[in-house]
Amino acid sequence: MKKLVIFSSALLLTAAVLAFAVLAQAWTISGKYNIAFSSNEASGIFKTFKGSIAFDEQNPAASNFSLSADVASINTGNALMNKHAKSDEWFDAAKFPEIKYTSRKIVKAGTGYQVTGDLEIRGVKKEYTIPFTFKRTGNNATFNGTFKVNRNDFHIGKPGGDVSDVITVTVAVPVVKG
Amino acid sequence: MLKKILLLALLAVLVGVLSGVAGIVYQKVYIETVGEGFVEIASVKNIIGASLLGAFVAAIGYFLLSLVLKGKTEMVFNLLFVILSFASILGPIGFKLPLEQEMPELFPGLAVPMHFFPALGWFALKPLFGKSI
Repeated sequence: MKKLVIFSSALLLTAAVLAFAVLAQAWTISGKYNIAFSSNEASGIFKTFKGSIAFDEQNPAASNFSLSADVASINTGNALMNKHAKSDEWFDAAKFPEIKYTSRKIVKAGTGYQVTGDLEIRGVKKEYTIPFTFKRTGNNATFNGTFKVNRNDFHIGKPGGDVSDVITVTVAVPVVKG
Repeated sequence: MLKKILLLALLAVLVGVLSGVAGIVYQKVYIETVGEGFVEIASVKNIIGASLLGAFVAAIGYFLLSLVLKGKTEMVFNLLFVILSFASILGPIGFKLPLEQEMPELFPGLAVPMHFFPALGWFALKPLFGKSI
């Protein structure tokens, strides 16, 4: 009986250690993030951004992101442009209130990393690979990434026109451990 | 001619200062009413500067028109001043504020009325100069 208890305890402890090693570190998004987009004619930010981040530099394969930005929080710096951006011709904030990104695979790439996942805008889901860096200082860290989105892939606005089809998205997300 | 130019310059200064002060007062009322005054962009310096600029442009326009139109200057100038003041509201409506600025939709409500203050100041003060200008 005593041997069984010792064996069971050892097994549980090993399982707990292994589980801890497999699960990536959870990070909480801190307030001073910047989710910005820019093109020749339009630029702006999304003021509300949330999600869960589990990331381990040593084990990116066990890491995952699930992020979303509130479409209604878009700010271009101009009231008319904000209204236009939220309208059904562009982001259609009433029908599609969130832009979502869910990772499927994270790998090391050169000095940084690459996350491949599903980007969902206006109800259209497409696979996007985003390169990013992760800079850690103690319990704090910052994710930085820049990528391009073709707005026609998500039926945002009409093709052509004043706003270029390809929009550059810049993401800077400070996080804290836990 | 020199007297006319000097009086127009004096009128421009008076109109600029009066409309600038009116703009600052309006901004204070706006802050009390809606809680936002865009004081970084519409600073006291910027309000007074823009009002003086508007008044001096008006004075130069009045002087140039008076050289051409003689007796009909007043009528044409007043009409032009109103039309141009109306047209100038496209400026604050299309203005792009810094991205960190909250509630950009409230900016036109502050800045658009200010665009009419130089014209109001001109119409209020010009009669004081009688036929000297």
